[in-house]
Amino acid sequence: MAKQNKRKKPVDFLIFISVIILVFIGIIMVYSASWPEGMVRYEDGSHYAKRHIQWAVVGLLGLIFTMNIDYRFWKKLSLPIYITAIILGLLIFSPMGVELKGARRWIDIGFTTLMPSDAIKLGSIVFFASFLDNKKERVRKLVDGALPAFILIGLSAGLVYLQRDLSTTATVAGTLFAMFFVAGMWLPILGLILAGVGIFAKYAIFSEGNEYRQRRVFAFLDPFADKLGDGWQIVQSLYAMGSGGLLGVGLGQSRQKFFYIPESYNDFIFAIIGEELGLLGTMFVLLLYAVIIWRGYTVALNARDAFGSYLATGITSLLAIQTFINIAVVTSSMPVTGITLPLISLGGTSLIMYLAGMGILLNISRTSTIDRRKPDENNS
Amino acid sequence: MHKINKSTKRRLRFAILVVTLIVFFLGYRLIRVQVIEGAEYKRGAMQQWTKAIELKSDRGIIYDRKGRKLAVNITSFTVWASPSDVKNPEEAAVRLQPILNMDSSSILENLKKESSIVKLKQWITREEAEMVRELGIGGISIVDDNKRYYPFGSFASYVLGFTDIDNNGLYGIERVYDEYLTGVPGVWVKATDRDNRQLPYGSEKIHNPENGTSVVLTIDETIQGFAEEAAEEALEKNQAKSVSIIVMDPKTGEVLAMANKPDYDPNNPRKSLDEEINNQWESLPFEEQQQEWYEMWRNYAINDIYEPGSTFKIVTAAAALEEGSANLNTHYYCNGFIRDIPGVVLRCSSWYDPHEDQDFSTAFSNSCNVAFVNMARDLGTEKMYEYIKAFGFGEVTGIDLLGEQRGIIPSGTENIREVNLATLSYGHGIAVTPIQMINSIAVVGNGGNLMTPHIVKALADSDGNVMEIFEPESRRQVISEATANELLDMLELTVLEGTGRKAYVPGYRIGGKTGTAQKIIDGRYVDGKYISSFGGLAPVDDPQVAVLVIVDEPTGIYYGGTVAGPSAASVIEKTLNYLEVPRKYTEEELEATKETVNVPDVRNISINRAGKEITDLELKYTTEYEDFNTDTLVLDQYPTPGVEVTKGSIIDLYLEDGSTNPILSSEDINNSN
Repeated sequence: MAKQNKRKKPVDFLIFISVIILVFIGIIMVYSASWPEGMVRYEDGSHYAKRHIQWAVVGLLGLIFTMNIDYRFWKKLSLPIYITAIILGLLIFSPMGVELKGARRWIDIGFTTLMPSDAIKLGSIVFFASFLDNKKERVRKLVDGALPAFILIGLSAGLVYLQRDLSTTATVAGTLFAMFFVAGMWLPILGLILAGVGIFAKYAIFSEGNEYRQRRVFAFLDPFADKLGDGWQIVQSLYAMGSGGLLGVGLGQSRQKFFYIPESYNDFIFAIIGEELGLLGTMFVLLLYAVIIWRGYTVALNARDAFGSYLATGITSLLAIQTFINIAVVTSSMPVTGITLPLISLGGTSLIMYLAGMGILLNISRTSTIDRRKPDENNS
Repeated sequence: MHKINKSTKRRLRFAILVVTLIVFFLGYRLIRVQVIEGAEYKRGAMQQWTKAIELKSDRGIIYDRKGRKLAVNITSFTVWASPSDVKNPEEAAVRLQPILNMDSSSILENLKKESSIVKLKQWITREEAEMVRELGIGGISIVDDNKRYYPFGSFASYVLGFTDIDNNGLYGIERVYDEYLTGVPGVWVKATDRDNRQLPYGSEKIHNPENGTSVVLTIDETIQGFAEEAAEEALEKNQAKSVSIIVMDPKTGEVLAMANKPDYDPNNPRKSLDEEINNQWESLPFEEQQQEWYEMWRNYAINDIYEPGSTFKIVTAAAALEEGSANLNTHYYCNGFIRDIPGVVLRCSSWYDPHEDQDFSTAFSNSCNVAFVNMARDLGTEKMYEYIKAFGFGEVTGIDLLGEQRGIIPSGTENIREVNLATLSYGHGIAVTPIQMINSIAVVGNGGNLMTPHIVKALADSDGNVMEIFEPESRRQVISEATANELLDMLELTVLEGTGRKAYVPGYRIGGKTGTAQKIIDGRYVDGKYISSFGGLAPVDDPQVAVLVIVDEPTGIYYGGTVAGPSAASVIEKTLNYLEVPRKYTEEELEATKETVNVPDVRNISINRAGKEITDLELKYTTEYEDFNTDTLVLDQYPTPGVEVTKGSIIDLYLEDGSTNPILSSEDINNSN
């Protein structure tokens, strides 16, 4: 028995299959949702889908790669990775930075553009996991544990915030806090964090220059009050979800993607899923995410060592937070904020980074003691 | 590497709990948004996707009674622009200008409008449309459209009416039967994207338009043609302001023809057919121009009123015979004047040569005013008024055309003073519409029934299947058949021997009555302006047609028999021919056609002598009536002296002008027969 799994144990099948299904759903839905814009802009309905498939291939290769690299290898590389991510983030403000749709969030690396915030997400997780692992029991201390942790979180989140990307900032900060929490954060700090978040949110929403966020909050409270203006996106999203109903209007048959929902293949792709595939489709997708998240935390729970556990926690939390925010926005459960749906939305850097992250998670799962039926085998 | 401690495991389990709660919350939100509130959102979504486009229905055809098309639809083309899609409006305007024949600045103005779609020009020809298509300017499109077309131009324009640019009926049958003709427009509901492009699939629904119902008129195109021709001739010959001719089937009330001249072309209703008038109109301010249009579109036959004059004597005679206040053996004595009404003296038209003793029929054919005044007095005010109303005067006839007038009759017997009763007897002091007049003449022709005149015979679907037939409708029996027959004989006598001789047609037994009245403008009689008319029925043994000819403001001769009689005769003759009513010549007629005489020269002798000379040769004569005496000289005559004519022919005499007396103006001069 032991001979067939001498070095390589199988990865967590549920995570693996869920990720693959989501990537394929993503390809189909990006194709469907981007068709009208492809036709109008490039006279090619599959224009965006083609690019997305290329990235998916690269991403899946990346997944297979990271899946087969022992995750402990990343600990050794954590500092260079983190520094690279920070440099990429700062490059936005260099001449390499590219401004698209009023936000400076991309850099041009010659053959393609790249979104540094995606690199920062993964780089921060790797480095923070390494940091927490090194601190061991000292993470509970205030000065020795919490203070450097906050500085790291602030650095990572701050870099994203500089790009005027509040939702990604919150995702990164939330992910790192989740890791810190799991690693053994002194609980009273939670109160401090909540206060900090409150103050920060107040600043981010009500300070000068950020009035658009304020309007978004009002639009969330009553989207139909200004359905042609601030409420447009959320109203259109609800129209899509509602017209999908239980069974959907049929794959490829969305009407809302015809320029009613702006960038329907991106932040609001879940609404198109809702319209075309109905509640059945959205529930299935939500279930796939839930499976990955549940199995992800289970992987963390059963990881061979603390670094693996923290890393799994980070990767899973990142996916969870971003997915939850996206779906919450699309279902009008929170104010609109621009964030993509992991593994599905169009976006090369995001897809590749997420698939790489899933690869790491799957690698950790190889070492986990999850299979309780044969504990001996796992320990051998 | 250190192992995971218990606190971490606890907190991870807590994290699983938290995400599970969040997943359930999101699942709940999905159900709420997609299912519970879903229908409401779906409705909003459908509203924003769907655009309804009206599909025009084909307008019904207007046929004559024999199925000939008088109003049809032709395909035309409309140029539309969606300004936001026109990339270079300046260039587009310059290129479109020569084809559309419009100001390039007004095209440019349209192309710069901030609306999603603008109509550049309606109804261009197929060739023009092709040229615009060939230009291939983005944002300019051509749409097929239906245009109403009247193949015979001005033919029957007052009956047909016309439509506006959107095919809504504005006048005539087009207006009255608009609801039927229009049909039910269809709707094309299509789903569009945010920029109004049609979605490649989806809930496209087409509710096909229901084509309009076709209308079959009672008008007979051929008879209408006779009427139009006669009206045109009468207009020119008399240099009249207008001529109106109505032909009716007296038994059914069906209008066989209704012609007014001058007319207009419903294909181009805002232009007169007279270029000179068009030039005048151009200099007018828009509102005055509109007034001119409304004036031009008036259907004289039903929209205008006139004083009927002697044609109205039919009513007086009918009432007297029906009520028994007189009979055919009643005699009337005419000394030329009615002098027993305080303050006024009424004159018979033949006052200079009084009719003296006449029986009822002769008085009728002489159109003797004195006799009719006495006839009305014998009848009494109450009865006279009753019959005026019974014949349908003072109320609309109910013909299916728009804007029918009621006419003006005394509001009650208490308002009919002695003098009023006297003048009413010969058709003065009352105003009627031409349709009322012919309708009352038809009463005599159909055995005494007042019919509802109508102009639409049936409705048919777009395939020509008859859907509904409008049956003749009798409103009431006004006089008995016996009275009607007596009147018919008298009408024939009038044409044979009396004032209506100009309407005589050998072989056809025509009955008729002439009428002449001074025009009333703004409530006063106007010197020198007359309305001359002739109303007739034929053939009198079984009337097939009733004809009314009204000549408004003839120049020169205005005697109704002379002005309107020949037109009526021409219409009646052609119509009876067309209806294949055989001619029946009397022996006398056969005889007369053989014998000819030369027309004597009666110029520059007195009317008295001239009349005697003419009648001695078994010829007849007519002349302008009233205000001359036995010594008045004949200025001219027609036919000219020496011309060979058959016996019984009529010679027109033109007399020295005399002064007129407005109030007492009356009727036909009579000859010495």
